[in-house]
Amino acid sequence: MEYAIELKGITKSFGPVAANKNINLSLAKGEILALLGENGSGKTTLMNMLSGIYMPDSGSIFIDGKKVEINSPEDSGKLGIGMVHQHFKLVERFTALENIRIGMRNEGRFFHGADVRKKIEDTAAKFGFDIDLDKVVANMAVSEKQTLEILKVLCYGAKIIILDEPTAVLTVQEIDRLFAVLRKMREEGHSIIIITHKLNEVMAISDRVAILRHGEYITTVETKTADEKSLTELMVGRKITLNIERPLMEKTHPLLEIRDLTVKNDEGAIAIDHINFYIRGGEMLGVAGIAGSGQKELCEAIAGLRKIEEGQMIHEGESIVGMSPKKILEHGVSMSFIPEDRLGMGLAPSLSITDNMILKNYNESKGLFVDRKSAREEAQKVIDRLEVITPSTETPVRRLSGGNVQKILLGREIKSGPNVLITAYPVRGLDINSSYTIYNILNEEKKKGVGILFVGEDLDVMLSLCDKIMVICHGKLQGVVNADHTTKEEIGLMMTGTLNIVNKEGKTDGIAKDSAFTDEEGKA
Amino acid sequence: MRKYHLVRRADAKIQRTLIYYAIGLLVSLTIGAILLAALGINPFEYYGKMLTIGLVGNKYGYKSIEGLLKIFVPLLITSLALSLSFKMRFWNIGGEGEFLIGAIAAAIVAFNCSGLPNFVTVLLMCLAAMISSGIIGIAVAALKVKFNTNETLMTLMINYIMLYVIRYLGETKADWNFFLRADSERPIFGSFPDSAVMGGIPLGKFKLLWSVLIAIALTAIIYVYLKYTKQGYEVSVVGDSSATAKYAGMNVGKIVLRTMFISSALIGLAAALAVSAAGTISDTITNDVGWTGIIVAWLSKLSIPAVFVTSILISVLQYGCQAAATQYPAIDVNFADLLQGIILFSVLVADFAANFRIVRKEEAKNA
Repeated sequence: MEYAIELKGITKSFGPVAANKNINLSLAKGEILALLGENGSGKTTLMNMLSGIYMPDSGSIFIDGKKVEINSPEDSGKLGIGMVHQHFKLVERFTALENIRIGMRNEGRFFHGADVRKKIEDTAAKFGFDIDLDKVVANMAVSEKQTLEILKVLCYGAKIIILDEPTAVLTVQEIDRLFAVLRKMREEGHSIIIITHKLNEVMAISDRVAILRHGEYITTVETKTADEKSLTELMVGRKITLNIERPLMEKTHPLLEIRDLTVKNDEGAIAIDHINFYIRGGEMLGVAGIAGSGQKELCEAIAGLRKIEEGQMIHEGESIVGMSPKKILEHGVSMSFIPEDRLGMGLAPSLSITDNMILKNYNESKGLFVDRKSAREEAQKVIDRLEVITPSTETPVRRLSGGNVQKILLGREIKSGPNVLITAYPVRGLDINSSYTIYNILNEEKKKGVGILFVGEDLDVMLSLCDKIMVICHGKLQGVVNADHTTKEEIGLMMTGTLNIVNKEGKTDGIAKDSAFTDEEGKA
Repeated sequence: MRKYHLVRRADAKIQRTLIYYAIGLLVSLTIGAILLAALGINPFEYYGKMLTIGLVGNKYGYKSIEGLLKIFVPLLITSLALSLSFKMRFWNIGGEGEFLIGAIAAAIVAFNCSGLPNFVTVLLMCLAAMISSGIIGIAVAALKVKFNTNETLMTLMINYIMLYVIRYLGETKADWNFFLRADSERPIFGSFPDSAVMGGIPLGKFKLLWSVLIAIALTAIIYVYLKYTKQGYEVSVVGDSSATAKYAGMNVGKIVLRTMFISSALIGLAAALAVSAAGTISDTITNDVGWTGIIVAWLSKLSIPAVFVTSILISVLQYGCQAAATQYPAIDVNFADLLQGIILFSVLVADFAANFRIVRKEEAKNA
């Protein structure tokens, strides 16, 4: 069998940490290979060596059976390798055509000849892309940008395409379309490596699955002969159960009620548009939506970090509109948000765990000085309770692995004993094991009667974890569904704005019948 | 085919850093020795004089210590102040300008309050300098907080504005200009009245100026401030991630304004102490502390005890170079600057080498 790529004995270390240890991997021509592994298992490092961003410390790379050296992204391109990164590398002000044009070589320097356009259009048609070449990237939806990225590498003549978590930002319908394109590419003889965390996608799209664990190559299996359970076990290295618990609790009165909330984003455009919803104690309400549909603005508004244009936010019968973030926290509403870079908001990465523990309440102690003694005790408690792996309480947070960082953040939020917990993307980028620990922590809070707003990405998780799911699209409420009586497809349609069930059959979604609102407040 | 590439070292071992520094120092001293030999000067003798800052065989040795301390105090306080703003990731490179503002404000007090007791005059000079420098610091911080202007450019410009202000004062003969000597035809900065000149504790012939004690006390205070107080904690959080600080409910704007006020006011204080110790003002009064302070702060990795030690070392280097250079007719003070530059440059290279390493790519053994 002839291989498009063969990696032999690849090793890459960052200081004393070996990110990749003696990796042997092969990609056959015309196959889709899924690369599976927990966080920190070295998937991205390995792919970055193929795309010329890192250079291996030792080992050899063979392309089409020939030994090659990849010293720069340019080398990688010449060898026919194209990488579609998680974060798109596009010029926002340029049109699709211009974005493709700037990276083309041997096409003259100045003009977009008609032949260039023709060439791009032909490539698009061949693989079934639906794209407007004259649209400016800034006006594109996420899925369009991704389409453009893939088209771009194809136009540059890539025969081997690497996709780094391409589905994270897409809806169910868009994922189906992406997979159709990938299959088409396979038919045309392209070889594809796809990195993903989602096992159902691995099963749906791949021919073979290669598994990494802690920087080591474990094995490659035929997808046909595998199932989700066996893949997970290979990935984690031991047997685990894959069921997310959903404890059913007696729901109490509405703790947090949001009425007609309107919030603007940083650019001054409407980000949240007259949204109504409520959270009861002992209930987990999921928030589903395409990335950038107003999730961040909603969380910030509730936490008091963003100005509210219009509407009401009532916590246990008292308005929290206009309160400072500190006041809202004291009221019992705690918000934790994991942004894309995972450290930007909520934690100070260079400071120790101890110092991060007291971020929100350092001012409560008396006097001029920070009370580090009790902070250290609290840090130790969180470390013990959530089984955080760290050398000490004084370790800077950025030295911890992703899962441990997120445990620290969640641990701090829970420690203040909130009765409403807003948590956005708490498992963002985490592997299965760490994700389950986080789900358990959230479920325990729910059992205590805390109301939880869970802003998530993975619909499968939300369907099994949350009691109800609220769907937003471009800042507008598309409806609230019961997690037991809905399907992924229905939510997908709501996420894209195709389906709106607010006010359907006369029911006003998002307003509790036993509301703590008085009529006057409701009208205000 | 590239065989080598740079890799950041994962661990920062203090021993390794010191060894690299020593190598850097040795290399720069060797280069200096070659230059000295070419000028017909015995390098060992020269370096001997440099390291002993002209103390040995000098019956006015105490003068050397006094001279050294006059360089050391402003440099230490300025470096402390800059470390404070750098800790907040506020790139205050306006140390020169802030220093000059403080110097001018202190001089205004000095020339106009001749009747007051010494202690009161010096205290007023310090207050005037701290307030005027602090206000400029607040102004830059306010522009940053309100309009998100680039503080690097703003503070940099202040340096030039203030340099020309003081030159204007020093060159303009006019009735209103009390900065200049009245009895001279040429424009020359006047001397302060005795009441505005810094006193000290006499130890034999040597006089330990109060400013030295103030600087040492400030080092301790700023160390405690940054490490243990709530305000110091806020500075680290804002510096680390202002999004996080905002999320934690901190008033980021207020913290930035406050910290920049303290930072600039400290530089103003350094200036007041410097002009009071010198007994006059001039357009070279800063002795480049605004620039050198940046190097001190970064070489010390913003650690306050390290700032203290580094300031001593750099002051010895500066004063020693000057003291040695004045003893040879073949060279002048410019050579001292040249040598200083070579040494600082080598140390910075050594610092880079201590943090990065060059890796040679190996072929796979099992390929």
